[in-house]
Amino acid sequence: MNIWKNFDVNEISILIMLIASYALIYFLPRKYKRDIALLFLFFGFTIGVVFDFTIGGGIIDFYTLNDSERYELFDFFYYLLFAPFSYLFVYLYDTFHISKKTFIVYIIAWALLGVGMQWVFTLINIIEFKKDYRVPYSFAIFLITQTITALYYENVASKRQILRRPKRNTRMDS
Amino acid sequence: MAFTLFFFGSWLVLTLFTIIPKKLAFTENTFVFLILLVISINWTWIIYEEFKFIESTETPMDYAAFLMFRSIIIPIVIITQLNISALARSRTLSLWTIVLSTACLLLFTFFSLHFGMIKYVNWNIAYDALYYLALHGIAYVTLKIFQTIQMNEVNDL
Repeated sequence: MNIWKNFDVNEISILIMLIASYALIYFLPRKYKRDIALLFLFFGFTIGVVFDFTIGGGIIDFYTLNDSERYELFDFFYYLLFAPFSYLFVYLYDTFHISKKTFIVYIIAWALLGVGMQWVFTLINIIEFKKDYRVPYSFAIFLITQTITALYYENVASKRQILRRPKRNTRMDS
Repeated sequence: MAFTLFFFGSWLVLTLFTIIPKKLAFTENTFVFLILLVISINWTWIIYEEFKFIESTETPMDYAAFLMFRSIIIPIVIITQLNISALARSRTLSLWTIVLSTACLLLFTFFSLHFGMIKYVNWNIAYDALYYLALHGIAYVTLKIFQTIQMNEVNDL
């Protein structure tokens, strides 16, 4: 295990994005109860870990993170970026009152955003694809992850109070 | 054979978890599951790929079985134990659920070795037993922390 191989553009970019994304979450009005906020932050982080260690390692190994095949500290920092991504996804999901009519568009928009971010990550050498894997393939993964996140959010919201100050009682009813 | 066995194992533990009466809330179960999943994935990567204490198979179907063990069977067995333990009437019964779920995970580890999914290089099954026991402890502590966060929120409002 390394802390980093070379401290250059990818490490600096990850640090900047980490600070910016977590600062954004910190300064956004608190919408969710603490445990729910923590749950969705960790939900995103776990999705990052699961997919990276499944298709980015082992015998599948479609990409290399940062500068080496070894597990680096900045790989871990990269996974931490998925946490605010997931939090903002559900935060805006609620803010925009996503319903059955807007669900598909919302998921596609976030899947495209995810693919766009992955493309940027390839430009700044955070991700290097291998074995003919291409950026657009990640669209399928983001479609799945964002759909799972949204459905899980709906499920949790239907079971208990998740907002600090409830705004509406029914979800996905419209 | 390994793929079939571990697919069946995954299906069985998921189904058992679904049908058992659950003392923990949906969000509590999810949070503990996510923590266990992240630890399980990181643990296997560090022990297998970084330290090379254990070798994993290069055969695709056996590797799929290995992924199912790492990502489904280990965390689900432990949160099932946690839910059953919460229903246990005595501490002794609760401890027996830990023994039983650890034995269950060790049985799957034995199958992993038997079918060549993994090969110990500088490791033995006692270390795995300690790891599984530690995971039970981590699951319990995680649950308590999550419940404390929930309680603090209620008290703050």
